[in-house]
Amino acid sequence: MQTPTTLSRPLAQRVAGLHDPRAPSATATALPASVIDAACAALDRGETHYTDRPGIPEFRAWVADHLRERYKIKIDPAEVTITCGSTEARFVCLTLLAPPASAVLCPGDSSPIRGALHLVGAKIVDAIQDDISLLYISPDVYRETSTELLRRAEETDWWIIYDLSLAKTDPPFHPARNPKLASRVVTINSLSASMPGWRLGWMAGSEMALRLRAGKQAITICTTAVSQWAGLEWVRTQL
Amino acid sequence: MTVNANPNIPEEVRAVAADGTQLRYALMEMARDMDDVIALGRGDPDLDTPPHIVEAAKSAIRDGRVNPTPVKGMDELRKAIAERMRAVNGLPVAAENVMITTGGQEGLFLAIQALIDPGDEILVPDPRYSSYDDAIRRAGGTMVSVPTNREDSFNLEAEAVEAAITPASKALLIVTPSNPTAGIVTEDRLRAIADVCIRHNLIVIVDEIYGKIVFPPWRHFSIGSLPGMAERTITLDAFSKTYAMTGWRCGYAAAPVDVIEAMARVKQVTTGPVATVSQWAGLAAITGPQDCVADYLKIYTERRGALLDGLDRMGFAYGEPRGGLFVWADCSSTGIHATELSYLLLKEGRVLIFPGTAFGDAWREYLRITMLEPIETLKTAVARMLPVLERYRLPPPQND
Repeated sequence: MQTPTTLSRPLAQRVAGLHDPRAPSATATALPASVIDAACAALDRGETHYTDRPGIPEFRAWVADHLRERYKIKIDPAEVTITCGSTEARFVCLTLLAPPASAVLCPGDSSPIRGALHLVGAKIVDAIQDDISLLYISPDVYRETSTELLRRAEETDWWIIYDLSLAKTDPPFHPARNPKLASRVVTINSLSASMPGWRLGWMAGSEMALRLRAGKQAITICTTAVSQWAGLEWVRTQL
Repeated sequence: MTVNANPNIPEEVRAVAADGTQLRYALMEMARDMDDVIALGRGDPDLDTPPHIVEAAKSAIRDGRVNPTPVKGMDELRKAIAERMRAVNGLPVAAENVMITTGGQEGLFLAIQALIDPGDEILVPDPRYSSYDDAIRRAGGTMVSVPTNREDSFNLEAEAVEAAITPASKALLIVTPSNPTAGIVTEDRLRAIADVCIRHNLIVIVDEIYGKIVFPPWRHFSIGSLPGMAERTITLDAFSKTYAMTGWRCGYAAAPVDVIEAMARVKQVTTGPVATVSQWAGLAAITGPQDCVADYLKIYTERRGALLDGLDRMGFAYGEPRGGLFVWADCSSTGIHATELSYLLLKEGRVLIFPGTAFGDAWREYLRITMLEPIETLKTAVARMLPVLERYRLPPPQND
């Protein structure tokens, strides 16, 4: 049997600019018994169908509550979408909020967003220029470099992605606490550190929340049901 | 009759009526706010995932076998899928030709991103599952419709494909069995279409997610098994419909190695690997007993009969549903625009059905109805729909 190795026509040009996937590196510690039990219980009661497109209501409510309690920002659960890890959240946000040929201002590590922005055709810059569409920041650079950028953001129409998922620090402030920015801030986070194989993240907030939800639906419809129930137990008991 | 001019259509439907995907979701959200709605809209099997698959997933969870996998998926699952596709579909593939995707829909998204450049045209049978639109649009491609029709039970003709080809054509998308029409592309037609694709050096992306749900005497056939097609075919499938596993979000793609490598590069930045527990469930599905597949097909066959009886009573015509989970019904005898009719059936009959306009602008005289409820519920749905139709059905036009 001759198995096919090469397509009869060239691949899309955009693929050449993407890197080969990394080997999996994350290894989770053993899950708490209650999380295992919650996952198995969800399967036993038949949670094997599509969930609501934005995610199970209980998890979305927890995200909204957590953002309010931890960061003092007001998010409606309807503005929360559960995603397949923070990777999907970043991809959806970047591809819908950063137009082709625009600039994304990233004062810190840009490696998490390079691939998605390559597909969009947007460029990454580390200093203010005229064609910026989006500011991507994490808590790790918030205090050192972002204060001035956020002040400038008040005078612009930049979208802001505040990515908590890969941060080494978690200071209790948040750009959406500024009422002049709140409608343009999307918060991203995930359970990748504690439950990496379950592919669970979320994106929350902004006046684009419903469009972001639709963007996620167009790729994966909804996030794995059992992952959502396991993750819900994790956040309720471990955070 | 136009959607936007019709005052009976509520604003939340009118606002999204031009976008098939959003129209479907707007109707689902309206239904969620109502009591006692019979949902014959979304393609989510009401049947449970078979117990042996659930137990395999639970074992993986309890054993701690839930760490992340490579982006292309678990090696043992890719190998099992390749073996199955060789044995059942006749595809000349090995594990290196297979990757795991987050459901069938992501497989299509990844394939389009890996293959289509801005300016490329992709031929798509009309009507179509409208979630394809977003993937094509994001890649900068242009969708070119290839007509199908009820008289031909929505089978795809090679002549129609060839007539749609231009110098910019790069790929043909085939969905067999079809969502929404329930037609299949028969083997003789696929052979003729393969000849066209080879002659014009077209790539074929074939979505076979309903391939195990085909009603005898009809049978599913994989175009990728034909001579000269392996190097130009991307075959997409998923566990979602065959094994009632929609919530696990686990599908797969088979293609030449360079396509799989490219799709994996895109997947790395799109969603990462599929949830590990879902991959164990998929492995149990594809290597375990297959009785459930035959059992489910028997159930769907019985439901199809009941639903078609009801459509006959309503005076709806349809192409023969040969596979999949839907009936694509011609509601033109009512004289009511499909979007309005869907809304009326939901509002006054408490039955959720998607209008044809959610699957292509021209399909304003069609409804997509699922058979994803027990027979008694389907009969209740018909009983609810009949008085609504009687109330609103327009008299046939008078001939002078």
